[in-house]
Amino acid sequence: MTIDATTPRFEFRRAASVGEAVQWLATPGARVHAGGTDLVPNLRRGLERPSIVVDIGGIAGLAGIAWRDDACAIGATVTLARLAADARVASTYPALAEAAAAVGAPAHRSAGTVGGNLCADTRCVHYNQGAWWRGAVGGCLKRGGDVCHVAPQGRRCHAAFCGDLAPALIALSAELDVASYGGVRRMAAVDLYRDDGAAHLALLPGELVTAVRLPPPDGVSGYRKARVRGSIDFPLAGVAIALRVGQRSIERAIVAVTGVGPRPVVVGTEAIVGRRVDDETAALLATRVEQSVKPMRTTATPAAYRRQVAGVLAARLLRTLAA
Amino acid sequence: MSSSIGAASAEASPPRTVGHPTPLVDGVDKVTGRARYTADLPHADALVGMILRSTVAHGTIVGIDVSAARALPGVRAVVTGDDFAAPYGVIPIAQNEWPLARERVRYRGEPIAAVAADDRASAEAALAAIVADIAPLSPVFTAQDALAEGAPLLHRDKAGNVEREVAQDFGDVDAGFAAADLVRERRFHYAEVAHGQIERNAAVASFDPERGELTSRSTTQVPYYLHLAIARCLGLDRAQIRITKPFVGGGFGHRVEPLNFEIVAAALARAAGATVRVEQSREDSFLTHRGRPETDIRLRLGLRAGGEITAVDCEVIQRGGAYAGYGVVTILYAGALLHALYRVGAVRYRGLRVYTNTPPSGAMRGHGAVDVRHAFEALLDEMGGELGLDPFALRRANLIEPPWRTANDLQVNSCALAACLDRVEEASGWRERRGKLPRGRGLGLACSHYVSGAAKPVQWSGEPHAVVNLKLDFDGSITLLTGAADIGQGSSTLLTQVAAETLCLPIERIRVVAADSALTPKDNGSYSSRVSFMVGNAALRAAEALRDTLVEAAARTLGVAATEVVWQGERCLVRGTDRELDFASVVAAALAGTGTLTVKGVWTTPSEMQGGRFRGAAVGSTAGFSYSAQVVEVAVDEETGAVSVEHVWVAHDCGFAINPLAATGQVQGAVWMGMGQALQEETQYHEGLALRPNFLDYRIPTIAESPPIDVTLVDSLDPLGPFGAKEASEGSLHGFAPALTSAIADATGIRLMALPATPDRVLDAIVRRRREARLESMRANRAAAAAGERTNP
Amino acid sequence: MGTRLLEVTVNGRTRCDAVDDATLLVDYLRRSVGLTGTKQGCDGGECGACTVLVDGAPRLACITLAASMAGRSIETIESLAAAGRMSPLQRAFHEHLGAQCGYCTPGMIMSAEALLRRDRAPTEDAIRAALAGNLCRCTGYVKIVESVQAASRALAEGER
Repeated sequence: MTIDATTPRFEFRRAASVGEAVQWLATPGARVHAGGTDLVPNLRRGLERPSIVVDIGGIAGLAGIAWRDDACAIGATVTLARLAADARVASTYPALAEAAAAVGAPAHRSAGTVGGNLCADTRCVHYNQGAWWRGAVGGCLKRGGDVCHVAPQGRRCHAAFCGDLAPALIALSAELDVASYGGVRRMAAVDLYRDDGAAHLALLPGELVTAVRLPPPDGVSGYRKARVRGSIDFPLAGVAIALRVGQRSIERAIVAVTGVGPRPVVVGTEAIVGRRVDDETAALLATRVEQSVKPMRTTATPAAYRRQVAGVLAARLLRTLAA
Repeated sequence: MSSSIGAASAEASPPRTVGHPTPLVDGVDKVTGRARYTADLPHADALVGMILRSTVAHGTIVGIDVSAARALPGVRAVVTGDDFAAPYGVIPIAQNEWPLARERVRYRGEPIAAVAADDRASAEAALAAIVADIAPLSPVFTAQDALAEGAPLLHRDKAGNVEREVAQDFGDVDAGFAAADLVRERRFHYAEVAHGQIERNAAVASFDPERGELTSRSTTQVPYYLHLAIARCLGLDRAQIRITKPFVGGGFGHRVEPLNFEIVAAALARAAGATVRVEQSREDSFLTHRGRPETDIRLRLGLRAGGEITAVDCEVIQRGGAYAGYGVVTILYAGALLHALYRVGAVRYRGLRVYTNTPPSGAMRGHGAVDVRHAFEALLDEMGGELGLDPFALRRANLIEPPWRTANDLQVNSCALAACLDRVEEASGWRERRGKLPRGRGLGLACSHYVSGAAKPVQWSGEPHAVVNLKLDFDGSITLLTGAADIGQGSSTLLTQVAAETLCLPIERIRVVAADSALTPKDNGSYSSRVSFMVGNAALRAAEALRDTLVEAAARTLGVAATEVVWQGERCLVRGTDRELDFASVVAAALAGTGTLTVKGVWTTPSEMQGGRFRGAAVGSTAGFSYSAQVVEVAVDEETGAVSVEHVWVAHDCGFAINPLAATGQVQGAVWMGMGQALQEETQYHEGLALRPNFLDYRIPTIAESPPIDVTLVDSLDPLGPFGAKEASEGSLHGFAPALTSAIADATGIRLMALPATPDRVLDAIVRRRREARLESMRANRAAAAAGERTNP
Repeated sequence: MGTRLLEVTVNGRTRCDAVDDATLLVDYLRRSVGLTGTKQGCDGGECGACTVLVDGAPRLACITLAASMAGRSIETIESLAAAGRMSPLQRAFHEHLGAQCGYCTPGMIMSAEALLRRDRAPTEDAIRAALAGNLCRCTGYVKIVESVQAASRALAEGER
């Protein structure tokens, strides 16, 4: 009656404080749990074999949204449902609200949290499979094998990070509070990620993302997600843009794309800054996006499509934001 | 449901139940969570059964060492292929699959051994301790590879890996093409799709070694075929076996043949002398498969200028997977229902069912006829465009008029396709809107049809096609006993309605006991849309027999001739008088001297409905064809390739809707399942390994992108159907895909020849067309320039 | 590895059961509590059949650790009928054929229940958004939308 016995059993510990959580998380094999929507499917497939599951859902102080003027701090265990429904978040940081609303389906969002979505595991059709299946191919570079079935010649894991919030937070220049036994460090959201599908988070053992800090918005923002179905699906590509347009031209633009590689891709926008937003500029951005992202065959949907559609979404979102 | 038994007797006129929207008789159990599905059955003493699957796609089994597994604590039984007496297969002439592989494995995921243990952990440990020594053989994963010269053979008796080759010719095809004003040929490709019933597979089997009795409960659409398969594979006398079907969470064809896990559960129960439950994962469903095969079609049609179809020439290749299953039937259905929808001049059909090292394909809703329907309707649509014919006009030019014998000798007694066309033309606003929608929007039409039960069951025994018993007892309650498996389609409700209507009684007086081989008369199961028609007819006849008995009893009591009794169910009257008898008194009279009454009704499909005399003629034959027309409206995003279905209008000729609520629901479900296949569902294999064995990658549509589906039920009062009824649960599936691609063509000018129409495929087609258009205009410019040079030297 | 005493409220009754730390909520409900109305259709978080309410919000019991539910209030499909009478949603799903095979129905109804509690007169779009994680293979969803709309009307009439 437990999770597949192929998964070693673990100890579930409910942390009362951040201090307690980070102390437990320093134990080898410890894993963080809040809503469980990312961790538990992986436990069920035997992808994770933790010794301790540290639940941070009960920690007071991690579940709040705090405003100071137009800046905002969002606790790691704020649920995606709450984030998506928060009127002030929606008006101040549309990209974030749109990204939160685009995650999974309602029951995922009422459990899933900001911290969990940011730290979600990377995904690949050769990885997100059951134990028998992975055994049949001898595992993969990310877990239990020495070959990447996506690029068998290479020596790196291409599993794609598919969180929806990260590109929005990167575009909005968010910073993260990362707690550990030694205290709290602050890092730019973009620095949370590494270009390695097998170890994509730049966190040390015992480190925990506790909050997201957003500066006041600098212009407008939005998030668009490509997926086959109207719900549930992870992004084939997801594009967030934060944009400041002056009287005539783009003054500042940050474009980040998720679902196309081990980490969110920040697309250089030099080519469009200073230009008016018109069809040509949009096409220029689409081209820049297509050149910047290099999705691999980590989804059943062809990688080339994910690249193409990322460009299209970016161009569309740019026009929409400037309209 | 308003009428109670007491109130009904006071009503002036007897209740009518057929033709009225009727909630399901077992619906309350479903919405309250009380309904028990197989996995919900109490299980305190059950062992956990688990199955080991081959990771090798094709190989010789050198040995399977289970000694270590047997020695583990908590392990009660271990079985392998050697523990079975015979192979199985739903078609008696093609039984080549063992519940656990023997000698050879033929696909990745094929069961090779199974264990029963005290708990899951012990069972998993036992599976891990089994050592399977399998010497790999080279595999073939596509039909093309399997058919190639020198390809490794999957089955020694099947040269070239051809399970069945079909060649059917009707009329003079060459003359037909010669008489045509337009001839076109196209090639089509269809991905393999799966049923995706939401309930995961499960079986609970018990064996009592003292009595030698085996009991099995499982997720099946065909409890009596399972009964036969278990008897055969375990070498048991049939009388030792009892099969019951709990609530079943959908089937769609996944469960229309006995499946390995059910037979294995029985074998484990016998080996352990205990109750064993096997609960399978979603991944297991995809590995067990039996879905619609990957299909390649070459189709050539000849049309006269007015649209009349003069000739059909079609070649179908189906990748059947590793074992026979329903394969022979599937490839025959593809030919039989390719063209029988219309009046056609002449037909040449060539079909190949091919063995490959992939999970076995099988029957899936719309069995065999879905992909050919797309090809046929899509090519008609394209050619109609060339001829300047409106899609409706084109269909109307080829309508059949019953009674009709199709080119392939199928009898049609009722057909309201013309009315179906009228209804959807009007409902969709076709005349006002087609061709006038903004860019990226389009409307498309297609027609389809399907059988109301295969006229010859696959297990031919000489018995009637359907039997229903009715039991009337001292309490005045009537029990309808049927082997028919209600898997959510509402068959128990429909049979209740039929009996209630015939007896003029409220449906509350009738209780259904279904699908328990110890109690209910044998039934072939829920497939090929046979239950409403066949079992409905048997129920009708049983109810008539009971009514006759009751009328006679009433006549005796009242001292009049039976012909003088006016039967109104809850009471009966002597004609022209106010003398009456209530139902309880009639029951008492009828039971006096005889006790509990049991009557029987049977149905046998008339021989003229059982098809022609050529080889394979039985497949496609039926006592009644349903007909359907549908219009699909789409919006195509030409930048992302995303296709959204905005609306569907469908008209379905189901003869007569016994339960319009359920019939409407079935038609909506069928159309929508057609949408899933047409838009986004597909299996995929990585070196024979299922790449999408889950509900994230196998993309069943969500409610978010599912369209409104407006249904019109059209009556045609079939002369053989119960109350004129025919099937309603499959025939509207086939039309969706061609209506969709026709609508996409209307919206964008692009004709998709490969399905599903996923955004990547659609975008590819759009990009390809743009490139071709650019090349064409470059060529045109060059030619113009060249011409200019010639004229101005 | 650990085992704990889990104190939790299930359908209004407070319980205390010994559970393994790795126990899924769906297995706890179906096997320890014996409420089999909550179904499992996939291998984890993909189909919505196991949807229950946790403190009023829809949650997927098949990817929820029972241990994380300490002190929470869980409602399953079995909680909706009162004195054996169907709730407005259950009655609507029954009468409007929102359930065919019935397997996705408990999860579907619980998602709809969460919606109607916060919005008694939802738009069709709101209904579709709320049920977007619940796969149904039988109905094409048409009669599911109609069922929720009918329940919404019944609630409005009940208020009058």
